[in-house]
Amino acid sequence: MYPFGSLPSNLIGFGDFLRREYKFQIGSGELHDTARALELVDLANEIRVRDALRPILSRTLEDAAVFDHAFTTFFFPPPKGVTQEGLGPLRLGVGPETALHEKRVEAGPQAAPDEAEEEEGAKVAGETFTPLAESEPGAAPALLARTSYSPLEAESARGAPVLRRAEPAWRDAARVLVRRLHLGLSRRWRSAARGPRFDLRRTLRASLQTGGEAITARWLRRPRRAPRFVLLIDGSRSMGPYTQTALEVAAAMASATMRLEVFTFSTALQRVTNDVRRSAAGEARRLEHLRHAWAGGTSIGPCLREFLRRFGERTMGRATVVMIVSDGLDVGEPGVLRDAMRELHQRSAGLVWLNPLLETAGYEPTASGMRAARPYITTFASANDVEGFARLSRLVRVRT
Amino acid sequence: MDAPTIRARFRDRGFVAGEAFATALQIMLALEKPLLIEGPAGVGKTESAKVLAEVLETRLIRLQCYEGLDAMAALYEWNYPRQMLHARLSETVDLTIEQREAQIFSEKFLLKRPLLEAITQDRSPVLLIDEVDRADEAFEAFLLELLAEWQVTIPELGAIRARNKPHVVVTSNRTRELSDALRRRCLFLWLPYPSLEQEIDILHARVPGLSDRLARQIAQMMQLLRGLSLQKAPGVAESLDWAMALMHLHRDHLDAQIVEETLGCVLKVHEDREIIAEHHEAIEPLLVDASPRVESRVADFGLGSVSTPRS
Repeated sequence: MYPFGSLPSNLIGFGDFLRREYKFQIGSGELHDTARALELVDLANEIRVRDALRPILSRTLEDAAVFDHAFTTFFFPPPKGVTQEGLGPLRLGVGPETALHEKRVEAGPQAAPDEAEEEEGAKVAGETFTPLAESEPGAAPALLARTSYSPLEAESARGAPVLRRAEPAWRDAARVLVRRLHLGLSRRWRSAARGPRFDLRRTLRASLQTGGEAITARWLRRPRRAPRFVLLIDGSRSMGPYTQTALEVAAAMASATMRLEVFTFSTALQRVTNDVRRSAAGEARRLEHLRHAWAGGTSIGPCLREFLRRFGERTMGRATVVMIVSDGLDVGEPGVLRDAMRELHQRSAGLVWLNPLLETAGYEPTASGMRAARPYITTFASANDVEGFARLSRLVRVRT
Repeated sequence: MDAPTIRARFRDRGFVAGEAFATALQIMLALEKPLLIEGPAGVGKTESAKVLAEVLETRLIRLQCYEGLDAMAALYEWNYPRQMLHARLSETVDLTIEQREAQIFSEKFLLKRPLLEAITQDRSPVLLIDEVDRADEAFEAFLLELLAEWQVTIPELGAIRARNKPHVVVTSNRTRELSDALRRRCLFLWLPYPSLEQEIDILHARVPGLSDRLARQIAQMMQLLRGLSLQKAPGVAESLDWAMALMHLHRDHLDAQIVEETLGCVLKVHEDREIIAEHHEAIEPLLVDASPRVESRVADFGLGSVSTPRS
């Protein structure tokens, strides 16, 4: 019944399986812990065993959400010829984000080889997202179809865009931008040569060297609050020539700050933070798995709403500066875009919209999408070249 | 302590714990590893640590994280005024500088903050590190050191080792991504919203005297509200508040009017009210039909639910 003969080899096998198929990060420490945990629970009770292993082996909600499926696949593999769908509903109820679960299930060993490979790549880079309607549990048979499909999607993908380390001039501009953003002061006190508050502790400590007489005074000051950035890049066809520039901005920002999250959107939203970080570290990356997001039509509103729903909690805050790179040519409902923009505005320190068309002579932001978004933008600018990007540091205003 | 016992003891104290949760607690106690609990706001993450301390009959030491929390506020501080005073008062005493220093920097002058407090207890306490995502990354790195070694180094006193390892519960609301290193040190548990039956159970456990019908209606409403994409989805804390409020108003069921009047207990953002209004038809079946109620209002008076007719 079990894949291996003894309990330890089963555990090791399961650990390997999770690492290989689901990209869990499991070390020998965790395996040791699982062995100890299994001494405590009733091994005949499958649910108890699952409940015991899940907290040890998973690290994030995403891990926890796919754990049960992985457990079933490994310990109770379906007989040959029966697909996973035939096994009935999976044990869920781990969280609200079952969409992700479905997606990663698809990436599992049951998917066709080429499909698996492709989705695997997407998963490593972040996660791929399914629009809500398509991830309902009832839609199981459709899961193997490409979930980000939409009639607006481009028929044939153009060459995938390339992410590489930004040029020095771009990096300098990004550094200046990050440094110039004033978000006010943090609540923390740091020791400093000069400051508004007397540091009794350090003064006293220093006075020991001078025989108990406090001669050198030490001070405390509040350091600046460091901003966080969210970069949302439009990858639709209309952005064509500017996508490479937008990625340059992303790579430059990644080299200037670690507090950055990057997403691309066109018909669907994708997190590419890890790719951007790696490219900033000097590793040129072709965004193969972005082909679907890339070069389709744009539905900005739904994508932004999706972003807020899935990542809003983790990325938005009073220290977050949101930067959207888009031409604002939206095919969706302007109402959806307006609501999403309002929420982005409310939950951030500032909303920067970089519109490449702004430099075109005679351009007026009158497209319905742009009109809906306009009232909530704190800085409306363009950054089509490095000079434009360098200018940005003087334009961006944030609320403190 | 095994999982069923933990569940029963939690239940005695009005906390309805799921099976997965109880097992995670059992594993955490046995492996002596910190437990990282993530989940939406108001599902009882903090409460669970409090109840755990009660169940283990030990102290709860709580460290509330906030932006700008630093090692000093979390670990220890010297009692400067007292040190100063002591230095002045002992000026006439004939002591060498070393002796004087040893006196001033002794444990008598140390103000213990939660983390140091937690590792110097005679009995393993429950250490609750609440909302760790609010503290900044630098503090997280500092925390890692403590969680790994259970040892604190105070330059003036030397290293202090934990006499008894605390049981650590770390909670996070996911307002930012936690570092991989912190996750590695912890067991991970996702605490979701309770299921319908669980929520009814919780309502009964926490609000004694609540009628079955009202409990079910509240729980059903909550399930429905959490399904809508609200800006601030209501948690268990909200359903308890709501139940209390309705008890206070002597209601034993929900109807359209009372929902309208008391929705402030549940929805905290104005825009969410608009969303609710849009989903009117989904909510309606959950409510007791309001129209015949108008006549029966007076007749109902004195039959368990007290309501006054409106002019």
